[in-house]
Amino acid sequence: MSLGDELRYLRAFHGGGNLMEIEDEIGLKPGTLRYMEQRYRCVGEDDEVLAKIAAYYDVPLGTLQYHRERYRKAISAYLQQAMEAETTARFELRTGETLAGRVRWWDLGAFGLESEGGGPLTVVQRHAVLDWQGQ
Amino acid sequence: MPEDLRTIRDRKGMSVNQLASRSGISIATLIQYEKGEQEIHPGDLRRLAKMLYVDEWDINPRSSPPPRKERPAKPPRPKKEPPKEKKPPPRSPPARNTQIVHLLALAARFDVDRAALEAEIGKPLEELTQKEARYWNGRFMRRMAEEQPPKRAIDRKRAYLPEGVDGFELAYLQEQQEAGIPLHFTLFDGQTFEGVVVGFSPYQITIREPGGNEITLNKLALAYYRKAGDAAGGAA
Repeated sequence: MSLGDELRYLRAFHGGGNLMEIEDEIGLKPGTLRYMEQRYRCVGEDDEVLAKIAAYYDVPLGTLQYHRERYRKAISAYLQQAMEAETTARFELRTGETLAGRVRWWDLGAFGLESEGGGPLTVVQRHAVLDWQGQ
Repeated sequence: MPEDLRTIRDRKGMSVNQLASRSGISIATLIQYEKGEQEIHPGDLRRLAKMLYVDEWDINPRSSPPPRKERPAKPPRPKKEPPKEKKPPPRSPPARNTQIVHLLALAARFDVDRAALEAEIGKPLEELTQKEARYWNGRFMRRMAEEQPPKRAIDRKRAYLPEGVDGFELAYLQEQQEAGIPLHFTLFDGQTFEGVVVGFSPYQITIREPGGNEITLNKLALAYYRKAGDAAGGAA
């Protein structure tokens, strides 16, 4: 799960507040949070900003740093590589489950994971993926 | 007796936005359907009928065009007063120093020095007005543009980025909705729901459970879904 998805998730769990109001309350420049929630690349949200956000949402700074390293472009690259090479991809989900299979398609919000041997297709939401690894 | 889409939608108290969101049909397409500019696609007709809780044959596939609103008659225009005598246009002020500097720089690009430039213009640069300076600057700029070799068109193909679209998932949902296949949804917190898809948007999926209840699931809360009855394929 990317930092952006984690922030969307945290905001939803904290009542789905208005981004501008939260930025104002935390003391961030207008647009910072919106940008962080939407961006695809890891372009270095600094620890000072992350610390302020972590304090606001009452989560450890390490959690946000963990998600910062798993940015959306990184999972896109992994999905594309796994799809082209037809290798088994393995995903740890936020539910605690691990799903494995062949990536059949992927897009903006989800990917289709077919279990080994042409089994049923599972549509996994990208924001539900905590971590991933190839085999 | 089939009725126009707009008539039914109005009666149901639904806005175009709401109908678009629930049916997964774009606003632009809905407007075209309502104006009768386009016949409703059979697939869309089914979805619209579901969303509006009517039968397919209750909707007129091609709506009649909306009546043209009659404009109220315009009040007569007041008679124009006879035109006043025109004043002579004000004389343009003397050229700014920056205009002269720019003009000299442009002329120098063509190896034209100040004396030659003044000879071409027909008067000393100090006597130029702003309007004249603009004209001469423009003339040199056009000459520069004409004499520069044309830029090569950049032959660059944009990379196809699937993350620019959400087409695959929406196509999958559309397929399942049309086939009426029940799906099994698992949420972040472990809750599960099962039902047939009755509508979806990029952010939400509405399903009808076997008992008839309709539930809208926020995609942010979803972890994954698959066809109901399929074994937990891929779970390790």
